[in-house]
Amino acid sequence: MLFTVLAKKAYARNLQYRASHLLHNVVSLVFGFIYIRIWAGLGEGSPLGEYGSQGMVAYIAFNQCLLWVTMFITNGLGLEQSVRTGQIALDLLRPAHLFYQAMSREWGQIAYQFLYKSLPIYILYFFMFSLRLPDNGLVFLWTAVAVAFAAYLSICIQYLIGLAALWTIESRWFFWLNYALGMLLAGFFIPLSWVPGWLRALSFCSPYPYLLYVPTRQYMGLDGPGALLGAAGWACALTALGFFATRLARRKLEVQGG
Amino acid sequence: MKANLRLYVLLIRASVRGAMQYKFNFIGSAFVSALVQFSEFLMVALVLVRFGSVDGWSWYEVGYLCGVMTLARALYRSFASDVHYLEKYLVSGDLDPLLLRPVPLLLALMTQNVRLLVGDLAQGALLVAVCLRELLASGQADWTAIPLTLLAIVSGAVLLFAIGLATAACGFWLTRIEALQNMSEDAARSAAQYPLTLYPRWMRTLLLVALPVGLVSYVPALYIVRGEYGAWLLVAAAGAAAVFLLLALRLWTLGVSRYQSTGS
Amino acid sequence: MITVNRLCKTFRIPVAREGRFAALRSLLSGEQRLKEAVRDISFTIGRGEFVGYIGPNGAGKSTTIKMLTGILHPTSGSVDIGGLSPQLHRQRVVRRLGVVFGQRSQLWWDLPVRDSYDILAAMYRLEERAARLRLGELSELLGLGEFLDTPVRKLSLGQRMRADLAAALLHDPDVLFLDEPTIGLDVAAKRSIRGFLHTLNRDLGTTILLTTHDMDDIERLCSRVMVINHGQLGYDGTIAELRERIGLPTVARVTFRAGCAVPSAAEAAGLPFVIVERAPGALTLAWNRRELTALEMLRIVSAWGEADDVHMEEPAFEDVIHRVY
Repeated sequence: MLFTVLAKKAYARNLQYRASHLLHNVVSLVFGFIYIRIWAGLGEGSPLGEYGSQGMVAYIAFNQCLLWVTMFITNGLGLEQSVRTGQIALDLLRPAHLFYQAMSREWGQIAYQFLYKSLPIYILYFFMFSLRLPDNGLVFLWTAVAVAFAAYLSICIQYLIGLAALWTIESRWFFWLNYALGMLLAGFFIPLSWVPGWLRALSFCSPYPYLLYVPTRQYMGLDGPGALLGAAGWACALTALGFFATRLARRKLEVQGG
Repeated sequence: MKANLRLYVLLIRASVRGAMQYKFNFIGSAFVSALVQFSEFLMVALVLVRFGSVDGWSWYEVGYLCGVMTLARALYRSFASDVHYLEKYLVSGDLDPLLLRPVPLLLALMTQNVRLLVGDLAQGALLVAVCLRELLASGQADWTAIPLTLLAIVSGAVLLFAIGLATAACGFWLTRIEALQNMSEDAARSAAQYPLTLYPRWMRTLLLVALPVGLVSYVPALYIVRGEYGAWLLVAAAGAAAVFLLLALRLWTLGVSRYQSTGS
Repeated sequence: MITVNRLCKTFRIPVAREGRFAALRSLLSGEQRLKEAVRDISFTIGRGEFVGYIGPNGAGKSTTIKMLTGILHPTSGSVDIGGLSPQLHRQRVVRRLGVVFGQRSQLWWDLPVRDSYDILAAMYRLEERAARLRLGELSELLGLGEFLDTPVRKLSLGQRMRADLAAALLHDPDVLFLDEPTIGLDVAAKRSIRGFLHTLNRDLGTTILLTTHDMDDIERLCSRVMVINHGQLGYDGTIAELRERIGLPTVARVTFRAGCAVPSAAEAAGLPFVIVERAPGALTLAWNRRELTALEMLRIVSAWGEADDVHMEEPAFEDVIHRVY
């Protein structure tokens, strides 16, 4: 099946660097340590609500792991490069839909990053900060579902960013905007329950909370699976948007000639 | 030395002129860059808005720390932009043509892609202005805070440059230094945007002595906005900046001669 | 002008390990392999010479050039350019050199060409009026006028090459190093660049060292050629001597009016040339000009039949070089 072929190739391509990738995980640990200390300092002044100081440690830790399957995936799914070299015209001609191709490759990349980044980082945090594993199997299950949704939503977002390269040279801006807004609205550093009401409302008008905030709360057992309905909704919406954008892209190339 | 300085100014003007040709791009990228920096600060700000203070430091004091750090970084990256990207040059072999120029390699590198980070400078300046105004109004700081802050920013920029230079110099031995740069530049800076008292003693020492980002905004702020210790803090910070720069330059020269002996 | 004495350069290459954690094990093992890129090379280039420096890929050409320009430090031996060592006085030596890399531009990519020249003029501490004058001259000679204000990244290859040449000559260097200057250019562009280089050397007396794979360039421009292979200098002399030394045969194709009395194999063995091909009514021969003149060859061949037409070919310089490699 095309999906597995593309995914496996993307996965395998990374293996040659795995030693250095594993070493880089230390950097993530350093960042996490800093954020945890800041929260510890904050926690001295006031009790940290439903999270508690140990909970905030878990919050930061799990977010750090999630970054590697959501925010740190391939910029624009490699489509910017494809547009620059003209490869995109060929890819659009193939029998498989462009989104399917790009997505398959990215799932392979995400699988690799999950195994060689997210997982080792979690293990490191687990031992260094005495994290608690989820109590029951159901929490595990819903966390896994939430993480899968988070990864898929990230793929959709990056796909749209990548396609933007067809219309403007400056698609880099969209990438950075996405990164900055994403970190903010996904509750990376501060849980969304603690941001001002208007900002929280704004966040939930976007798919971002489902990238970090929602999966982490699932992991911590703070929300029921109902919270994932929003993720499903966004997944449908972004997929539809992706297909629409692809149609526009195809028409643009037909008119312009690549 | 003077000729080099003149050359440098010329290069900056040329680079800015070149960038201005593409006005849309120039404004757009300045905007986006500022937004990225600002959203980083916003994360901090939201925390403080909710919690009022962290470790005894108020919103405005922490904002001041962030602003000074942002400005120092913006100055460093504006005037020495491609030093940070040395790895790219080492991998592609683009360092050799720079050695063909009758200027020191460092100068050639610093002048390659001079880009004034206008957005970052604006955002940092705004932040410092807002926080200082409040601190002045509440009587926590007096008018001397303004020139002293400028001094802190400049010496901070020199310090960040020294750290960046030393890290880049390691590239002559290691080639791949991205992870090292992530730690010595990005992580250290993120940490020092908050009062160092949050961190365990070993880390505090690290951030003041070995990787002295703490001397960029935290230590000057101790005197300027909190009135602790004395003005000698600023002198010490500036002095340390000079010392670190000299050390970094030595390491750089060592690295360059190694590069020339071993090729690539 | 340029003196190179017993130049050597040995690289230490870490041995690549295989298998799991290959990169880590390579780093820790510290095992190294020695690669002698340049071995005991000596030569002297006088002022005003136009020298070609050729060799197969990996022979040590670019390593030598890098040592001449001070980019690399030699393991042993010395380089002297105009009385200075590029290793000890890099900046001073480089001030009197011009270098053009065919594959990489020395200009600032995003800026207009003119800006690059302004920057270079400042770097080389040229006096403003002198620099402007010089740029005017170069602009006329190389036809830069049409694209002086275009950003470098928008230039065609030919334009970029001309701009790079001007950049290398802006500060009036005594010595010019050229690395593949005509690569990728069309015939007209090549011809114009060659013409320019020829003028530069003949009229202005600039010493030029040319590294290239294009043998036409060498033949047309260089009075002397140095061949490097496996890190050592295989040949250093004029092109004519090289041809003679290698002694590749001249090839002639003789057409006969009415057939010829082709000599038998035994008879053919005694002849001072080799019969390469026999076709009805024509013979192809190969012989060495040093041993036999063309006229003598024809006299022998005419004895076999009435010669109608003769077509002669000298060995291609490329083939000569191939022999040296």
